Amino acid sequence: MTPRLVFDAAAGLAILFACVMVVHRHPVKSVLALVVSFFALAVTYVLLAAPLIAAVQVIVYAGAILVLFLFVLMLLNVPEEARQSSDRPIHQALSAGGIVAFAAALLAVLRGYGATQAAPSVAPSPGDLAPVAKLLFSDHLLSFEALSILLLAALVGAFVLARREGSP
Amino acid sequence: MSAADVGILALRVLAPVLVILIVLPMLQWVERRGAGLIQDRPGPNRVGPFGLLQPLADVVKFFMKEDLVPSHADRFLYVLAPGLAAFAALTTFAVIPYGATLTVRGRAIPLVGADVSIGVLYLFALTSLSVYGIVLAGWSSNNKFSLIGGIRSSAQIISYELPMTTAAAGVVLATGSFRLTDVVAMQSGSWLSLPLRGWTVVPQFLGFIVFFVSAFAETNRLPFDLPEAEAELVAGYHTEYSAMKFAMFYMAEYINVVVASALMVTLYFGGWTFPGFTPTNGAGVLLSVVIFALKTAFFVWVFMWVRWTLPRFRYDQLLRLGWKVLLPLALLNLFWVAALVLWKVL
Repeated sequence: MTPRLVFDAAAGLAILFACVMVVHRHPVKSVLALVVSFFALAVTYVLLAAPLIAAVQVIVYAGAILVLFLFVLMLLNVPEEARQSSDRPIHQALSAGGIVAFAAALLAVLRGYGATQAAPSVAPSPGDLAPVAKLLFSDHLLSFEALSILLLAALVGAFVLARREGSP
Repeated sequence: MSAADVGILALRVLAPVLVILIVLPMLQWVERRGAGLIQDRPGPNRVGPFGLLQPLADVVKFFMKEDLVPSHADRFLYVLAPGLAAFAALTTFAVIPYGATLTVRGRAIPLVGADVSIGVLYLFALTSLSVYGIVLAGWSSNNKFSLIGGIRSSAQIISYELPMTTAAAGVVLATGSFRLTDVVAMQSGSWLSLPLRGWTVVPQFLGFIVFFVSAFAETNRLPFDLPEAEAELVAGYHTEYSAMKFAMFYMAEYINVVVASALMVTLYFGGWTFPGFTPTNGAGVLLSVVIFALKTAFFVWVFMWVRWTLPRFRYDQLLRLGWKVLLPLALLNLFWVAALVLWKVL
């Protein structure tokens, strides 16, 4: 049962470092905790026979987006945040209640999922990228292209915003 | 899985790593003697014949040096960073096929660490992670020069990843698979019949040039070694590092050069294959490993050759080259390859 052990360890690590990310007061350390969490998630994807998702997770999130986060944090030299507690107890009570309610809702949905949902119709054959690619360019072609145009629009928008007046 | 299987797997994974670690000090000797050759001076020639024992002396020196951690540095990350840099560099080699399939007592042993279906993606995932070692070193040193070096490095590696990945996408397109053994097998065919199945570098020369130039930026080598430009940044991200921690960065750089060379050989120059050569017995398999090593060594030498030939770029020139020249060229190459595949030429 080694894969199961590795899966549990990786999942535990992902949750642990997600908590570290929230709790840590230094923004740079928070980002690094998130990197570890994402990496552990990628390990769980590999064990779930979805190596493509794992690779994309590492390339896009750990390798690009979080590096940009780190880049900005370092450029601005963001200092450690001071611990500040709300002086109104109602805030604390409300946030605690919100967390419990969210956790309960999540748990209820997840428990229901295992019972009612059948296994996915496309059997994931380990490492086969062709089915994913075929689906992407046939059934989901429209949403795929729409997404790419959305990203292009964001790119052009960022470029226009960042461009200084008068420069070429 | 029997004990023998586990042992063979461990050997398959560890053999290339061990070879690289053994060859690494020699690379430094080659680099310094090569610099001497190019600049018309002797280079290190005092320790041993032709200065061959110089790397050994350097290793001893690295171990004996005082290991300082600046008092204002972030201690944990400062110690972690060089390890991360070397780790990301070494693990890349796990998926690169370095020889033909060996058959021992009916057991087929493919000479590759792990033949995963996402080989090319795995490589780029690890390349994108290699930036963390450098960035964290720059930040945790709490030194302005180190920080600027780290920031330069992250911008540079992210920028050049795009043309590099797009160029490699051409190879993937021609192969129809991310698996690196498939990429090598695809290049072992003949040029005489359609679809063409020879070394990728011929139909995709443009893609190779883009990949080649980007590799220099990804490995922080001259003419793109802006993160450690000594004329501006003292030593860049590793200014504060000394002793073995410094040596780890040094090692990581050389490992990255070897990996980049091995990648170019695998993606564009047929990996361990050679036209007109089919390994049939044990000696043939050994020859395939030698062919792979020689091809890789050639590109490692090109890295050094270029370092002592070209001056350093300015940083804005570097980014302009990446975004405005290499990325469009890589896209052009991708269209070209797509057309070839469509016309059944590839």
